Amino acid sequence: MKKRSNFFLYALIAVPIGLMIVPTIVVLAVALLPTGVAFLLERRKGFYGGLTVGAMNLAGCAPFLADLWFDGHTVQNAVGIITNVFAWMSFYGAAMFGWAIYSTTPSVVSTFMAMTAGRRIAAMRDQQKELVQKWGPDVESVYEPERKPGDLPAGPPDSLTNGLTKAV
Amino acid sequence: MAEAAADLKPAPEKAPPAAPAAAPTPPPPSPETVGAPSSPSGSYIIVRDRFTIFCDRPLPSLDMPNALAYEVADRKQEGRPLYALVCRPDMPARVSVMRTLKGLEIPAVLHMVDWGVAEWPLLERKCVIVIYHRPLGGKVMDAHFGSMKRIPDHVFARTVIKPIAEGLIELGLKGVTHRAIRPDNLYYIDEQKTKIVLGDCVTSVPAHDQPVLLETIESGMAQPSGRGAGTYADDMYAFGASVLMIALGRNPVAGVPDWELIRRKIQIGSYATLVGDERVPMALIECLRGMLTDDAEQRWLPNNIDLWLNGKRLTPIQARSEPQSQRPLRFAEMEFHSIRPLSYAMYNNWDKALSIISDGTLEVWIRRGLELNDLADSIASAIKGTGAALGKGEADDIIIARVLMLLDPRAPIRYRDFRLFIEGFGSSLAVAMLRKQKLQAFTDFITRELWRYWIIAQTKFIAENQQYEGVFRELRNYLKDQNSGGGIERCVYELNEWQPCMSPLIADQYVMEVKGVLPALDVVAKTANIKVWPVDRHIAAFLRARYAKGTGSQIDSMNDQRPDRATIGMLSVLAIVQWRLGPEALYGLAQWVGGLMGPVVNSYQNRVKRKEIEKELPKLIRKGNLAEMFNYLDNPEERQKDGEGFSWAKAEYAAAEKLVYDLEHGQVDRQESAILTGRQAGAAGAGFIMFVTYLFIMLGKLF
Repeated sequence: MKKRSNFFLYALIAVPIGLMIVPTIVVLAVALLPTGVAFLLERRKGFYGGLTVGAMNLAGCAPFLADLWFDGHTVQNAVGIITNVFAWMSFYGAAMFGWAIYSTTPSVVSTFMAMTAGRRIAAMRDQQKELVQKWGPDVESVYEPERKPGDLPAGPPDSLTNGLTKAV
Repeated sequence: MAEAAADLKPAPEKAPPAAPAAAPTPPPPSPETVGAPSSPSGSYIIVRDRFTIFCDRPLPSLDMPNALAYEVADRKQEGRPLYALVCRPDMPARVSVMRTLKGLEIPAVLHMVDWGVAEWPLLERKCVIVIYHRPLGGKVMDAHFGSMKRIPDHVFARTVIKPIAEGLIELGLKGVTHRAIRPDNLYYIDEQKTKIVLGDCVTSVPAHDQPVLLETIESGMAQPSGRGAGTYADDMYAFGASVLMIALGRNPVAGVPDWELIRRKIQIGSYATLVGDERVPMALIECLRGMLTDDAEQRWLPNNIDLWLNGKRLTPIQARSEPQSQRPLRFAEMEFHSIRPLSYAMYNNWDKALSIISDGTLEVWIRRGLELNDLADSIASAIKGTGAALGKGEADDIIIARVLMLLDPRAPIRYRDFRLFIEGFGSSLAVAMLRKQKLQAFTDFITRELWRYWIIAQTKFIAENQQYEGVFRELRNYLKDQNSGGGIERCVYELNEWQPCMSPLIADQYVMEVKGVLPALDVVAKTANIKVWPVDRHIAAFLRARYAKGTGSQIDSMNDQRPDRATIGMLSVLAIVQWRLGPEALYGLAQWVGGLMGPVVNSYQNRVKRKEIEKELPKLIRKGNLAEMFNYLDNPEERQKDGEGFSWAKAEYAAAEKLVYDLEHGQVDRQESAILTGRQAGAAGAGFIMFVTYLFIMLGKLF
C-alpha cells in the first residue's frame, strides 16, 4: 500500500518535469546509448564501466546540452542536435574515451601497486638485514602461514627464487 | 699453619762463606739425594727471617724415609743445633700433628721448633719443611734391619724404656699417636748418648714407614698408607718391638718375609715370633710380654710401664684362646684348626679362596668343626646377599672380602691387593692420588660398600664406626657426582683436612688453604696454558670441600652444559673467592681468565654490546679484579636489556618476514584489488572530468 502511494508521488513529480525537459531527454536518449550498452555489458562487475562511460558520455554531451538549455529549449533544437554529425562524434567519442579509461586504469593501478610492493619488500629485507647485523643470525625466522585442510603447500617466495619458478 | 705458610719466604742466595760454628762438616751425599736435582752450589733459604736452611748441606744420617735432612742455622741463637726435614711432595705430611707439636718441648720427643711451607730450590717447588732440634748423638740404630752396640741391662730400663714411656704419656695427653716408633727413629739427643728421644712422626702418613715386625698383626696386614692413625696400643706394640730390638742389638727376625712374619704372629703370637730362641734379659720379659701381647685391650699402656718401673708386679696376661676345631680344614695344601690362620691363608691365596666358600666347605667346617653357627649363618647370608646383588663375576671378589671380614673382623678390609683400615682410607687415597696410582679399588671400596660390610662384621660396638657410616654415605654421593667439584677428587679433600690442592696447575705451590688458591693461580698464569680453565676438577673439589658455603652454587653453575653459563660460572667461582678472601688485584689470573671469556661475550645477542665488552674487557683485566669483571660481564640489567631487545628484534624480523610473505604470495589478490581500484579510479576520474566540463561550459555560457 505504501509502495503504491510512493510510485504515484514520484510519477506526480516526474511526469510534469519530464514534459518540461522533453528536448533534453530527446538529446540524451540518443547521446547516452553507449552508456546504456556499457551498463548492460558490465553490470556484473559493479557498474563501474557504465559509470565511467556514462560520465564521459555526459561530458561529451555538455556543449550541446548547454546550447539547448541556453539557446532555446525546444524539441526542434533537440532534433537539430541529434542530427548533427559533430554532436554524434562528440557523444560517442567521449563515450569511447570513457571506455578507454575504464579499460586501462586497472592495469595502470596494478603496475603501480606491484612497484609499491617491490619497494616494500626491499625495505623489509633491508630492515631484516640490519636486525641480523645487530642481533646475529639467531633472530632469523621463516614465516609459514597456517594451512587450512586441503591447501596445497606454498612454493618458495619469489624473493628467494628470483622468479625462476614462474619463468620455467 | 696458615701463618707458617705465609711466613716461609724463599730467598735463594749464595751461602755465607762460613758455616755456623756448631754445624758439623757436611757428610758426603747419600744415595737418597741422587734422584734430586743437582744442588745449586752455595744456596740456602731463610725461613721466618730466622732459620737458614742450607740446600747444599744434606744430613743423610738424619734423613727420614719420606723427608731429607739439611743443616739449619738459627740467626737468633747462633750455635743452636737444628736440622730441617724437607718432606717429599708425594707423601702427605701430618699437618694436624705438626700444629699440635710445634714449639712444644715434650720430654723424650724430638723438639719440633717450627714448620711451614716454603719454596725448595732443589725441587723447584714448595715443600713442607719441619725444623727440629738436632740430636747430637745420632740414631740409636742406623736401620731397623741393622745392628747396634747393646745397651747394658742395668741401665736399659732407665735409659730406653722410662723416657720413651714418659714421652708417650705426654703425646697421649695431646691426643697424638706417634706411629713411627722404630729403632732407627730413636735418637740420642746428647753427644754422650745418655738420653733417647722419639724421632719425627709427621713427615709421612701414620705408620707408613713402619716395618711389619714393629706393627701389630692387624696393622701389619694393612698396606703402609692405609694403617690409619691407630691407637696408643699400636704405639705401645711398636715400642715393645723396638725395645726388644734394642735389647738384642739387632733384628731378631731379619730376612723373614712380611707375610711369613704375620703368619707366625697369628699362629704362635707376636712375642713368641719376635723373641724366638733369642735370650732376652730376664728383667724385660714381663714388660715385653705386656707390650707385645696381640690383644689390644690387654696390651700394656705407658702407665703400666710406669707401674712396672716402680717395681709393681702386674697380673700376668692370659692369652685368649681361639676356638679350635678337632677336624682340620684343608686349604692351599695346609691344614687349619682355627679361623684366623685360615683367614690369612685365604687372603694370601685369594684365587683359591672362592672354591671353599662357594662349595660350602668353609661353612660346614665352621658349623660342625667349630660349632660357630652364628658365624656360619653370617657367611651364608653374605654369600647369598652379595650374589643376589651383583653379577657372578663381580660378586666373587666381594664375597671373598666379606667372608674374610667375618672370619677376622679385627683385620683390615682386604680386597685383593687393596687392604686398609677404614680410618686409613683417606690417607691411603691421598698417597695413591699423589703418586698417580690407579684409584679403581678406592672407588670400589666406596661404591660397593666394603666399608659398610666391615662395620657390620665388627663384633664389638665402636662408636666411631657410626661416624664413618655417615662419612662414607656422603662419599658415595660425591662419587656419583661426576661434575667438577665431585668425584674421587672431592672425596680426597673431604677426608684429608690438610691435604694440599693436587691440581696439576698449582700442585707445586702446595696450597693448603682456600685463600692460597688464587695467588697460586696468579703465579702460574705466566707459564700456564691459557687455553685451559684455571678451575680444574681438583681446584673445584678443593674449593667445594674447604669452602662449600662460599662456592657451592658457583661451582654448580660452572658445570652448566651451556658454554657461556659454564664460563661465567668459572669466573664467578674465582670472583667470589677473591671478593671474600682477597687479594685485591690478580693481574696474571685476570688476564688468563679474561682470555677465556669468549663464550660469555658471545652470549650477548647484541653485536654492538659485544664490541663494547671487547673494548672494556682489557681495562678490567688491567685492574686485576675478577669480581668487577664478573659484575660487568654478568650485569643482570644488561642481560635483561639484551634479552628483551633480542625478543623484540625476533618479533620485528618475524613481522617483516610475514609482510614479505604476504606481499610475495598475494599476487592474485593484488590483481583483483588493482582491477577493482582501477575501475573505481577510472569512474572517479571520468566523473571528475564530467564535472569540470560542465562547470566550465556553464560558466562560459553565463559569463
